[in-house]
Amino acid sequence: MSTEEQLPGQVTRSERSGPVVTATRWMENLGETGFAYLLLTPVFLLLGTIALYPLLRTFEMSLYQNILAATESEFVGLENYVALFTGGADTALPGTTTFLPGLETSGSFPFVHVEGLLRSALVVTLIFTLVSVFFETIIGFGQALVLDQEFRGRRLVRVAVIIPWAVPIVIQGMMFYLMFNPQTGFLTEYLANLGLVAGTNTFNDPLSSLVIITIADIWKTSAFMALLILAGLQSIDRNLYEVARVAGASRWQQFKLITFPLVLPTLGIAILFRTIDAMRVYGLIDATAGCTTVPSLSCMVVETFNQSRGLASAIAFVTAGLIGIAVSIVIYQQYKEGF
Amino acid sequence: MAGNEHDHEKTTIEGGPLERWTRGVITEPEKRNRLYRALFYVATGFFLVTTLFPFYWLLVLAVTPNSQILQGDWEISIGVLPFDIPLPTPQEFNVYAFVEVFQEIPFHLYVFNSFVLATVTTIIVLMIASLAGYVFGRLEFPGRGPLMLAVLMISYFPPAAFLIPLFDAFLGNAVVVPFLGIELFEAPRLVNTPGSMIMPFSALFLPLAIFILTTFYAQIPDGLEDAARVEGTTRLGALFRVIMPLSAPGVATAAVLTFIAVYNEYFFSSIMALGNEPHQWSPLVGGILSYQDQYTTEFNLMAAASIVGVIPVVIIVVVAQEKIVSGLTAGALKE
Repeated sequence: MSTEEQLPGQVTRSERSGPVVTATRWMENLGETGFAYLLLTPVFLLLGTIALYPLLRTFEMSLYQNILAATESEFVGLENYVALFTGGADTALPGTTTFLPGLETSGSFPFVHVEGLLRSALVVTLIFTLVSVFFETIIGFGQALVLDQEFRGRRLVRVAVIIPWAVPIVIQGMMFYLMFNPQTGFLTEYLANLGLVAGTNTFNDPLSSLVIITIADIWKTSAFMALLILAGLQSIDRNLYEVARVAGASRWQQFKLITFPLVLPTLGIAILFRTIDAMRVYGLIDATAGCTTVPSLSCMVVETFNQSRGLASAIAFVTAGLIGIAVSIVIYQQYKEGF
Repeated sequence: MAGNEHDHEKTTIEGGPLERWTRGVITEPEKRNRLYRALFYVATGFFLVTTLFPFYWLLVLAVTPNSQILQGDWEISIGVLPFDIPLPTPQEFNVYAFVEVFQEIPFHLYVFNSFVLATVTTIIVLMIASLAGYVFGRLEFPGRGPLMLAVLMISYFPPAAFLIPLFDAFLGNAVVVPFLGIELFEAPRLVNTPGSMIMPFSALFLPLAIFILTTFYAQIPDGLEDAARVEGTTRLGALFRVIMPLSAPGVATAAVLTFIAVYNEYFFSSIMALGNEPHQWSPLVGGILSYQDQYTTEFNLMAAASIVGVIPVVIIVVVAQEKIVSGLTAGALKE
């Protein structure tokens, strides 16, 4: 869609404007629906080739044996999934079966029975997601409440709050690597004395690494939460507070009875967004502890896909399915609001 | 913050003077306001320190010579306190690390690659998202709602779910129609070229731009578009010459957010450049990781490289903070 197309009636009436004029006239004569779909073609093409096609193809590949091209390899049905969930695929996966102390690699998961390393990946991903989103919500709420006030230097504080959100993931990883690496980190010794992280080889210890990665994520993404909640806070009708004050409500009561209930829908959406995003965690882990120490679901895909396409595809599809659950909640919400 | 206030009141209940003070806080509005103000300053200070400290830490490491970093003596004594506290301060001022960063590996090339990738992706995304934003924001047609939902849905899926077929295709293997086995075409070998990154980036960050532009384009009054059309402009002409210029803040918002998102992207950036070499179009990710992989104990260089890499986004945030705030909230909440 070159810009020439939009300049038909202009002075440049060269020979090549013939087809352009025809195309323009054709486009102008299209009905609203036809025109809409025409303009959306690039979106369909891009999302179709880069998202939809790979998604379907990933599912197809997960049904085949671990050979590169699915056309030449044997159809094995759900065997890759069975191997993943029963521990039969452990030899091909990164990580160890003793991932977290006290965590069995076999046993019943909240919804499904999972054994083997996929279980640690599920546990890692879910623990990371729950803990980081929980603290991000609280800290984000606090930041939003501060930014909602009128005070001198508000812009400055807002910049300070947003900046972590804009830091590239690889640099975020490097920051926290340098902050907690026992060779450089000034806090590691103290945290180790408190029993929070391992004092030596901190980034080879799965639990310590998970703690550090979670802290790093909270540091970076609380800002996102804060901005969404702030938007929710600022859409609250200020008159409500006026009425409450006249009625003699304390600030705490105002918060409990006005602010919190009214900001709750926004908070819900923000939490869902963050949950979906946190379940995809990869870069932060890769840049700090490495995927073999803290194997998240995305990590597992990246670590295995060069050896076994089928297995990696199965993990990728499990990941997509898990996120799909959260996504369908969002979609349902949007649908209810009359999208 | 409110939770803190509550705790604060609870914990101060015991003790004579404290109790009196607490009662004062509860009964006298003036004292209460003073407490709220104090809590506000404490909270603001806490957020400032926690968000900015990692940057300070990078700066300290970058200017401290590596030999001193490895000694790891970060404790300083403050006169009043009877013990040393762990507060890192620069122990020397070695600016040379910022020169060395570019000498050990061609770090500027990685940053350059990031800029090129981010700029090209931003342009592509703005073009496509403008058309889509016009359609979703200004046209009524059957299928509008479901299509917007589909775009939204696809944008949520994890990159890991797209990676394997894309990687195969970018390696130059045939693209096969799923479940039918029909070979469509042999894709050119795109790994180690900008294309292998720009295409996934565009798809990943397109939906956010679409939602931002939809919001902004929908706000332009119909009358302005009609006026342009009466003057003989085509519908597309009206989009590019009337609606887009009038929505300049929205376009800028989408551009800023897309640029930052690409600059910060990790997943495809680290995978599609196979060897993390600058001539393979490896962006910032590759540069920083090279320091972590090859110069495993040159901590001052790692810190200096991180500072160099983070400066562009810090500048963007400082300059365009309003746009970032409005864009993120418009994209996510669609208000």
